[in-house]
Amino acid sequence: MRFMKLPILLVFLSAMLLLAACGNGGAANQNTQSGSGQAQPNAATPQPEADKSAEQVRTVKHLMGETTIKGVPKRVVALEWSSAEHVLALGVQPVGIADIPNMKKWVKLPVEIAPEVVDVGSRVAPNLESIMLAKPDLIIGMKRNVEANYDELSKIAPTIAFDSNPAEGQGDQYTRMIDTFKEIADILGKNAEAEKVLQDLDKTYAEAKERIVKAGMDKTPIVLAMGYSNQNAVEFRLSTDNSTAIQILNRVGLTNAYKAKKFEMNGMTTTDVEALPALQDANFLHIIQDDDNVIENQLKNNPVWNGLKFVKENRIYALGGDMWPYGGPLSAQIMAKKAADLLAK
Amino acid sequence: MLLGGLVLLVLLTFVSLTQGLADISVRTVIEAITAPKDIADHQMIQGVRLPRTVMGLLSGAALAVAGAMMQTVTRNPLASETTLGVNAGAYMFVVCGLVFWPAILHQYPLPFAMAGGILAAAAVYYMAGGRKGTPIRVALSGMIVTLVFSSLTSAIILFNEETTQGIFIWGSGSLKQNDWSGVQFSWPLIMLGIMLSCLMARQLDVLSFNEETAQSLGQKVGKTRLFAMLIAILITCVSVSVVGPIGFIGLVAPHLVRLSGLTRHIWLLPISAIWGAALLVASDTISRTFINAYGELPAGAVTAAIGGPWLIWLAMRVSRKLSGSTGSGAQTSMSVGGWQRSVPYPLIVILLCVLLAIVWMSGLAIGNLYLPWSEIIAVFMGQGNEMYSQLLFELRMPRLLTAMLAGVALAISGSLMQSAVRNPLADPQIVGVTSGAGVGAILLLLVFPQFSSWMPLGAMLGGIAAAAIVYAVSWRRGLNPVILTLVGIAVAAAGAAFINILIVKAQLLAAPALAWMAGSTYGRGWTEISRLLPAIVILTPLAWWLGRRVDLLAFNDESSVGLGLKVRQTRLAVATIAVLLASAAVASVGAVGFIGLLAPHAARLLVGAHHRKAVVVSALLGAVLLAASDLLGRVVMIPKDIPSGIVVALLGAPYLFILMFRAAKIR
Repeated sequence: MRFMKLPILLVFLSAMLLLAACGNGGAANQNTQSGSGQAQPNAATPQPEADKSAEQVRTVKHLMGETTIKGVPKRVVALEWSSAEHVLALGVQPVGIADIPNMKKWVKLPVEIAPEVVDVGSRVAPNLESIMLAKPDLIIGMKRNVEANYDELSKIAPTIAFDSNPAEGQGDQYTRMIDTFKEIADILGKNAEAEKVLQDLDKTYAEAKERIVKAGMDKTPIVLAMGYSNQNAVEFRLSTDNSTAIQILNRVGLTNAYKAKKFEMNGMTTTDVEALPALQDANFLHIIQDDDNVIENQLKNNPVWNGLKFVKENRIYALGGDMWPYGGPLSAQIMAKKAADLLAK
Repeated sequence: MLLGGLVLLVLLTFVSLTQGLADISVRTVIEAITAPKDIADHQMIQGVRLPRTVMGLLSGAALAVAGAMMQTVTRNPLASETTLGVNAGAYMFVVCGLVFWPAILHQYPLPFAMAGGILAAAAVYYMAGGRKGTPIRVALSGMIVTLVFSSLTSAIILFNEETTQGIFIWGSGSLKQNDWSGVQFSWPLIMLGIMLSCLMARQLDVLSFNEETAQSLGQKVGKTRLFAMLIAILITCVSVSVVGPIGFIGLVAPHLVRLSGLTRHIWLLPISAIWGAALLVASDTISRTFINAYGELPAGAVTAAIGGPWLIWLAMRVSRKLSGSTGSGAQTSMSVGGWQRSVPYPLIVILLCVLLAIVWMSGLAIGNLYLPWSEIIAVFMGQGNEMYSQLLFELRMPRLLTAMLAGVALAISGSLMQSAVRNPLADPQIVGVTSGAGVGAILLLLVFPQFSSWMPLGAMLGGIAAAAIVYAVSWRRGLNPVILTLVGIAVAAAGAAFINILIVKAQLLAAPALAWMAGSTYGRGWTEISRLLPAIVILTPLAWWLGRRVDLLAFNDESSVGLGLKVRQTRLAVATIAVLLASAAVASVGAVGFIGLLAPHAARLLVGAHHRKAVVVSALLGAVLLAASDLLGRVVMIPKDIPSGIVVALLGAPYLFILMFRAAKIR
């Protein structure tokens, strides 16, 4: 009997510890609520609001609810690469980005990511401690980055979730991207920089379009495909009209030959080589990785591929494996320039 | 049977050839085969569609023959490439190759698949007790090995999203072919394998007697089994390396043929091949019929949809035959050996509590920022640094607590389950709770994406529903442990297949869904604790109170009844509590698999079979295990977070290997 009491005693001890923790947790909660949302992250005690000049309070409505931002955030944590690109394009270095090594591999930007920027973990499961230690005053991302723990993130800093893929009838991804860019610029107080970036972008479009029209390449429609291999099969993801990439190409004078049968929220249809004969009159633009070059490997002896008109007439244009079609205004510039380089040689 | 199979095959081949993105009629198909011309449509058929159909035929034949041989060799009607873990092993090795050695993989896909398949099959074989493994043990071992490999595969895919973007569809079995290279590669090996197995037909017939009879008839049993098994694995892996892991064909086709009365291998093998081929092409045809409505469904998804219910029905049939020979202590013994020097029970409890305290303290202190204990105490007193207190109370403590509570729930659930099913390899997963929870959660995500915060509710309902199906089916047979196990495995396998289909559909959500499926304590906080704590507080005393009766369940049914135990009711009560606990845990942390298996097992090693003592020790062990996994997952690859379920699987795998050796030695 004596021995049975031991586990019970231990249970009581841990229960007491638990209660003590809960009690303090409640008190700590109240302290931290007023502590977040401050523009002065290094203060250990909350500073009186009256110190700030031109303090504005803004309420942003977004996918996950409403967020109140006080003042102009200076320390941003970006949980998705497109959000990071938006911030970098405005000349601001975020304090934290999710999955920096992979971002450097897949998203090539003309702006360098500063070495002090903290890697906060994977995009779908960002490391909450890293984010907290970076002392941000704004956290931005896409829905999929924040939905697992929106509440925890909100406790660290005001969190905003954007949506890059609008549903049917609600506009295209490019317009959504530009709107997101402008909104982030507005929140960060960088409207002038945003204007400059967009003007630069329009100038690039105009130049590229001029070159393409001069070369007469705008008369033939194009099809944009991302190709990759799946063990023995080759898959092509054909971009649809609502995708960012096609909208960019539209703005340099090119039209999309591929019309999707049903609405694709991701902006692409996954298909295989069988879909290509119907599109063989178009110019074929592709994004294919060097270590998975399906055209050189799997398709080399494929009779269907070799029978296509654009293969026979060599109207194939490689945008390159490092082209990132899901990015922001800087990636758009890169794509527009490359398209003009390829088509208007 | 033969004629029927052939006719079906020819019909399906033609239908399959007319399917595809370009519109081609039957007449064109016939022309293309008989009098090919150099036009686009004919090129399409010759170059793209015909290879796909032919690959389907080859794969189906290979899988069916392999399944038939596996069933004969292990004398287990439930054996197949799916249930013996061969598919999971091959898939994992191919994914590894894709991520770490892509160039080598593209050149030599077969050795990767073979290595994985052989490793998995060997693991299952030894874990089930080698030659003396009963069908149930083999099935259970297969399930556990499949789970370990799937966890590892999920982990690798999770951390390499962009590189593995297409692998998910392939991972569910996709017959898409680009040219004839796949066919050219596989047909010699598959034909060779099938021919060799037909040549062995007589030896295989003799194998179906039990070992002594076979040996006395002059058969070299060991060598024959090894050879046959190797051929079966070889042709399975050839198929996997080309079209990915396709499950259930090896289960459905041979049994269809056996049911019609053909049991002699000289007929069984070729006709199974024909029916297997027909079945796979039919599945592919069905999957492509819906392409406009749902997009491309992998063929493996359809075979799972067909095979899942079939497996359940099969399990019921098998259990009817086996129910006569259950209850004999040696086969379903709970004995797992014990320590020679018995450590007194209170000492064990104290040691475990100390261990738990150490893990607790480390968990609070270690992380991105090392918090020295002076700071932690200051925070508890309410005087600490504000950021530290936020770190501690918002992030570390709730997560650690959730891990401990979930560990406790899973361990107690496992302990109860093992007693109810009288099998030391049992786990809440075997009654399909984990798979059912996964299906429930992902279905909710798909159908009501705006309610994603209700995912735990969906998980709980799914888990309870799956368990209810299993119990309902076995109720009429008195919740016989054998039947419960077999039907549970079938439901779990069907559930896992469904989950794969759903994940393929919900492409964008794949990564969070994967992390959830692996089981993760990421982002868990006070809400999860508020859900878990009531469940544990209510159900654990009940489990404790049932203590003496659960001890009695360990005997076979007749003895228990003779000792005055209401066997069916007790088993139902025990199983219900186990399912509720497991569902609550799964709803909070996702599908964490191994704690319900490892903790009670280890507990029984330490304290013997006394249920009340074992429950306490399992609970402590479960808490330590999941909390330690959580800590490791947070710390090892900072800032990346490894889901705790995967860490548990990785920690559990060595323990499972030790299990194998013990199991082999005890026999």
